[in-house]
Amino acid sequence: MRFAKNIWVLLTIVLTGAGWITVDNRYFKPKPVKFIIPKGWPQPVYDFSKNPLTEEGFALGRKLFYDGQLSKDGNFSCGACHQQFGAFNTYDHNLSHGFNNSLTTRNAPGLFNLAWQKEFMWDGGINHLDLQPLAPITAENEMAETIENVLKKLKADKEYRKLFKAAFGDETINTQRLGKAMSQFLLQMVSSNSKYDKVMRGEASFILPEQLGYDIFKKKCVSCHTEPMFTDYSFRNTGIPPDRYLKDMGRMKITGNPEDSLKFKVPSLRNVAMTFPYGHDGRFFSLMSVFEHYRKNMTVMPNTDSLLSKKMALSNFEIGQLTAFLYTLTDSTFLKDKRFAPPGFDNSGKAPVDIHQ
Amino acid sequence: MRNFLSVICLVSLTVLVSSFYGDEVDKASRKITLAFHHQVGNDALVLGNPVKNILGETISVEKFKYYVSNFSVTNDKGVTTKLPVQYFLIDEADPLSKNINLSIPENIIVTRISFLLGVDSIKNVSGIQTGALDPLKGMFWTWNSGYIMAKMEGVSESAATGGNHFTYDIGGFRKGMNTTKRIDLNIDNKEKNLQEVHINADINRWFKGSSELKIAETPICHSPGALAMRIADNYSTMFSINSIR
Repeated sequence: MRFAKNIWVLLTIVLTGAGWITVDNRYFKPKPVKFIIPKGWPQPVYDFSKNPLTEEGFALGRKLFYDGQLSKDGNFSCGACHQQFGAFNTYDHNLSHGFNNSLTTRNAPGLFNLAWQKEFMWDGGINHLDLQPLAPITAENEMAETIENVLKKLKADKEYRKLFKAAFGDETINTQRLGKAMSQFLLQMVSSNSKYDKVMRGEASFILPEQLGYDIFKKKCVSCHTEPMFTDYSFRNTGIPPDRYLKDMGRMKITGNPEDSLKFKVPSLRNVAMTFPYGHDGRFFSLMSVFEHYRKNMTVMPNTDSLLSKKMALSNFEIGQLTAFLYTLTDSTFLKDKRFAPPGFDNSGKAPVDIHQ
Repeated sequence: MRNFLSVICLVSLTVLVSSFYGDEVDKASRKITLAFHHQVGNDALVLGNPVKNILGETISVEKFKYYVSNFSVTNDKGVTTKLPVQYFLIDEADPLSKNINLSIPENIIVTRISFLLGVDSIKNVSGIQTGALDPLKGMFWTWNSGYIMAKMEGVSESAATGGNHFTYDIGGFRKGMNTTKRIDLNIDNKEKNLQEVHINADINRWFKGSSELKIAETPICHSPGALAMRIADNYSTMFSINSIR
């Protein structure tokens, strides 16, 4: 009996081993990274099964994000316009600087919680996170490079061949892997540790103005800036007339539908104190100018959001309390997280102070 | 205990056996070649060569390429078989790309070949693809995610644009903007061993189909929408069977 049992055990081990060897005989075992969904948050929309997170993939994506080689003249990395201390916006710039003294036509948004986002850009024209980097890389007024050249440069770089092999199992460098590696880095940029989050988790409590601001927020702002992402990812016309030079019609450019004229994606308000200036073209210098827009300066158009058809009544008192609340959305852990700093760079510096109140 | 071990043993055995049969066992199949020939009316299209199109406008085509995918074949009894999904970029500038091989069931008399002119919506929303669908091929819009299904670009004195360029980049997969076209080509064939199907694509059909496309009036189409759909309607009639072997 004992003998028979031993035979069974032995046979099991041998067969499992043999099966394993034939299924995958290559030596390729990147270290998996578990994606943690903050408590109470919805399921992410990104399909992780197509691009399982690994430490190697993240390291590669991080290097790519901060590499100027992705641009035509080597000057513009992704990180050049997406700065960590500004929650990865272009700090204190309405528009960003691109190749050959050019300017972008829109305000660079902060980058965080991208795993929950289905459509990218202010007009939602890009339908997958992996595809997103291709737009700034190839745009004439941003990085102005061709995908072909980027791949050529990466292939010529021994270090990159090594990193691609570590992340994907072999040295093949192609567009798909470029996109997936960038996503590995971007997906892990989760911002969920603001004072607001701590209050929600019962680890901290609001002071009075913050609590009053939160109450006003839940009455007047939350239907578009929905918790916990602080956006519902919809496209809305908030009464911002088009800039006479930029002539940006927003969502209509993508859908071709006049109904979508001047609609732009509702931005998340997480880290909002750090992501000034505001608006799709960065025309609002401060939170104060945004409040002034909503209560006074709006141009109500036929397709302006029905919630704003009479603009938004806001008293000076309410603006003060709302501001106090919005400051609780700053996640300093995220702003200083060394994992997201340029490789080898110890991000110990203080974030610049917002001087635009 | 013994039962438990038996189960593990059985599972291991299954893993082992299935690992030997990882690839699906192919049903009996054989190769067939489709050869695409690009024409301007009765003449062969030559890139960079000025010719008159069907509307009398002189054009010199510099780029002509399009996607074909989702093939199926129909036999003499009217039974249609979907072939494994494949994507091909047919490019006038790349002679190799104009001959494609398909794997079809053995022992059938093919009387119709059907395919999608363009790339189905699923591949337009699934991130970055490789091979023929690599965005690197210049057939993908990065600012408004989606494939350019077909592209014809060139020079014409009728084009009131910088450099007299006319550029027709036709795409759009969303509802109400869809430019993919189902193409059915009937083949007069009675043989089981059909080897080659030669297909003509006449660029004149871009300019004259259900509507007219005058370069003088409309030299540019760069985004999904009504114009793109109108041009796609036109070019969906460009294919015809040249010959079979």
